[in-house]
Amino acid sequence: MKIRHEVLITPERAVVDGKPIPVTTHGIDMLTELYRTRINDYPRFFKMDELCRLGFVASELLLQAAGDRHADSEDRAVVMFNSSGSVCNDRKYQATLQQPDGFFPSPSLFVYTLPNIVTGEIAIRNGYHGETAFYVLDKKSSALIDNALRATFCDETTQSILGGWLDCEAPDDFLAELYLIEK
Amino acid sequence: MYIQNMEELVLELKEKIIEVLNLEDVRPDDIDSDAPLFGTGLGLDSIDALELIVMMERVYGIKIKDPSVGKDIFKSVNTMAEFVSKNRTK
Repeated sequence: MKIRHEVLITPERAVVDGKPIPVTTHGIDMLTELYRTRINDYPRFFKMDELCRLGFVASELLLQAAGDRHADSEDRAVVMFNSSGSVCNDRKYQATLQQPDGFFPSPSLFVYTLPNIVTGEIAIRNGYHGETAFYVLDKKSSALIDNALRATFCDETTQSILGGWLDCEAPDDFLAELYLIEK
Repeated sequence: MYIQNMEELVLELKEKIIEVLNLEDVRPDDIDSDAPLFGTGLGLDSIDALELIVMMERVYGIKIKDPSVGKDIFKSVNTMAEFVSKNRTK
């Protein structure tokens, strides 16, 4: 496997291929700032939950570094890992069910109560028709992640993977370490 | 009985639509009161329709039991306002 490009996003910074991107905000506001200053052509971003926004922004920065989305392809897999699932959004959804006299489950929150939705959002944005997967691990394990990525390349179709660690526990507590990997 | 000026209700509904559907870069003035909400116009989808049904109950006390009637109610902001003014319990 060869890593072609990489992106790191924390609540304080965003770094693409070792180069920091100037930002003036932090946390979830920083993701919005990155969207508006670097992407700004996908209003669906504002309907996404925090995990999806993190994954969307990270994937867009990665693909910008690559200079080619490899759009409408069947040989690119999207494979993500974390240990908190979709807990940030799950809590918000739970709050809409909490009060006996205010029981109004939110459909738009409900659809994001699964972490693998982010792989779908990335696939839809780019027209990827290859494998998508989201592994929820007990804890971050480089060995497990490496094995899973290598296994993804075992089919006869997958030639590249957009993937990595994508975790969001709260609007000010998240980590994206995504890579564009070739076979 | 709830009496509200129709113009005020239309503006309120536009603000609620923007708020509950996270239409970040849309202002009330941008929404044509007679334009289709779904398909063209604002381009809302099926999840947005469900959120509007929840909003109707939460804010105006209107339970829409048959989702198929939603198509007529949510045709435009004006049709929503007419429906709310006739059926609200809050």
